[in-house]
Amino acid sequence: MAKIVPRPNLSFWEQVYFLEVAKGLATTMGHAVRNLVNPDRFETTDYPEAKLQVPRDYRARHRLMKRPDGAPRCVACFMCSTACPARCINIVAEESPDKHIEKRPARFEIDLLLCVFCGYCVEACPCDAIRMDTMDLVLVADNRRAFVIDKEKLMDWQPTEYPVDDEQSQKAPGGILHAKALEEFHSGTYH
Amino acid sequence: MDFLVQNFDVILTLLKPVLIFALLFQILPLLVLAERRGAAIIQDRPGPNRAAISLPGGLKLRGFGMVFNIADAVKLLFKESFTAPFAHKWWYILAPAIPVVTAILTPAVLPWFAPIVHQPDGGALQVVSGQIFDANVGLLLLFAIGSLSVYGVVLGSWASNSKFALLGGLRASAMMISYEVSMGLAVLGMLLIVGSFSLTDIVEWQGNHTWGIVVQPVGFLLFLVAMFAECNRNPFDVAEGESEIVGGFHTEYSSMKFMLFMTAEYLHMIVAAALIATLFLGGYHLLPVGGFGTVWVRQHIGPVLGVLLALGGAGMLAFAWLITRRRAAYLRKAHSDNASRNREYTVYAVVFALLGLAHLGAGAAAWLLLPVPTAVIAAGGLAIFPWWASLLTAVVQFSVILVKTILVCGLFVWVRWTLPRFRYDQIMALGWKVLLNIALVNLLVTAVVTKLVK
Repeated sequence: MAKIVPRPNLSFWEQVYFLEVAKGLATTMGHAVRNLVNPDRFETTDYPEAKLQVPRDYRARHRLMKRPDGAPRCVACFMCSTACPARCINIVAEESPDKHIEKRPARFEIDLLLCVFCGYCVEACPCDAIRMDTMDLVLVADNRRAFVIDKEKLMDWQPTEYPVDDEQSQKAPGGILHAKALEEFHSGTYH
Repeated sequence: MDFLVQNFDVILTLLKPVLIFALLFQILPLLVLAERRGAAIIQDRPGPNRAAISLPGGLKLRGFGMVFNIADAVKLLFKESFTAPFAHKWWYILAPAIPVVTAILTPAVLPWFAPIVHQPDGGALQVVSGQIFDANVGLLLLFAIGSLSVYGVVLGSWASNSKFALLGGLRASAMMISYEVSMGLAVLGMLLIVGSFSLTDIVEWQGNHTWGIVVQPVGFLLFLVAMFAECNRNPFDVAEGESEIVGGFHTEYSSMKFMLFMTAEYLHMIVAAALIATLFLGGYHLLPVGGFGTVWVRQHIGPVLGVLLALGGAGMLAFAWLITRRRAAYLRKAHSDNASRNREYTVYAVVFALLGLAHLGAGAAAWLLLPVPTAVIAAGGLAIFPWWASLLTAVVQFSVILVKTILVCGLFVWVRWTLPRFRYDQIMALGWKVLLNIALVNLLVTAVVTKLVK
């Protein structure tokens, strides 16, 4: 059903228009003068020099989580690449030397130009091996090939970049929970 | 020196056009800058401030965004000058030149300072007019030339052979012709009061009595609105419309030809502002009260120069203060380029503070050191002042009208970033049903009152 928007009833002085123009001009001039005298009022961020913080759960560039020994948590099950609507994840699996794990990724590539940043890969992963919490949302390169990031780039992060209550990140080499996790890992009680 | 004094009129007549055009069109880059930064500060943001000239020693000069002008010009100059294959080539190339030429021609008939009367020892009386071309039908000539600028828009849009361009051109031409009627009628009131078409007479009348805005407030408002329409400015910028007709009349234009259209738009704004200042804001006269005309300024040239220089100096000091506040605001934020900004803003603040102090000093010197000029009364009651007093008065008067022009240009920018644009039928209704009627009533009332008073 069509929505009927009633026309505003303008008073005589509003219909004369010049008075309303003067009021509008006063508003804009007020802003201009206040901003000239007090430059702190700007709501903008001077972008390259200062950056806005995005929330922790913002879906940005991906990363691969690490085991305490530094190997990827990924078991090359292809769940993420199957779930991916953009088909941007390319995995080549190989046999894992670890007898508890069947496979590991020989190559793990994500084409960021194809990626739609939907987060389905994170949802699909049974091992919490892929996450999108890097907060790295400005992706710049001068050729298309450089947007295809490989396993090394995906695992190039430090636990210090993540909050202390992020257990999975802190169990990676360099994290505050790493020593305990490595002990468990070698004694076979690590999950 | 003797040669200079003897041939005063010849030298001044030769120098006049160069100085007037050079100084008047220096407003153009300022205006482009004011448009960007003005829009920014009205909308609570800092505006473009990234393009910079890097000097050795880590000093980056951004020039308050002025460097963007250079970048724009370089970009437009080096872009491919593309001519659409379906365009009528000859007219297509000719069209951008027309508005620029008309805009550059019109300041020639505006009076920029009062006529200088000079008599060298034992020589003939020399009179140097304040106009480049002193026509006693100055106003008609102005409107005749100014109205030609619409041909550039129409010709450009037709020659592009593109529907969108043609639509933009048609809208612009219909609007400009409609508002020219109200514009002419708005000025007629002023002409009735003064009783002359000569721009010099109009300005001199304003100096002897009062500014045009005081006796013709309605005429001023009508003329202002008509001038916004003539310049294709907001809220009357129907010639362009990204959302409805791609670009407007310049859809098919690029590089230098596009730049000429843009330049012409801003030149027209400057000329319109100068015209408004001349007709309604007292032209080159200082005060909106009678009795402070050219002769008074010449008699008191020392104090007048002193006060004006001091005012300019105070303005520069205030600007330096604003710069230091801006610098402090940057330093309060933890930015990666704070060191470079600090250096740059310190340089600006020091330069403007020194300039302001120099102006204050020069003002004091002018007041204290300049002798009181003594006028010689020539035959016919004409007061002849020493050449230096007349020349300094001309400088003062030219500065005054230049400042008025800049302020009216500022009004153009201010209005653009305040008002939303009209719908096309609203523009036509306003032009023909409202402005025309008000202009006619204003003319009638003015005519009756003028007849009764005289």
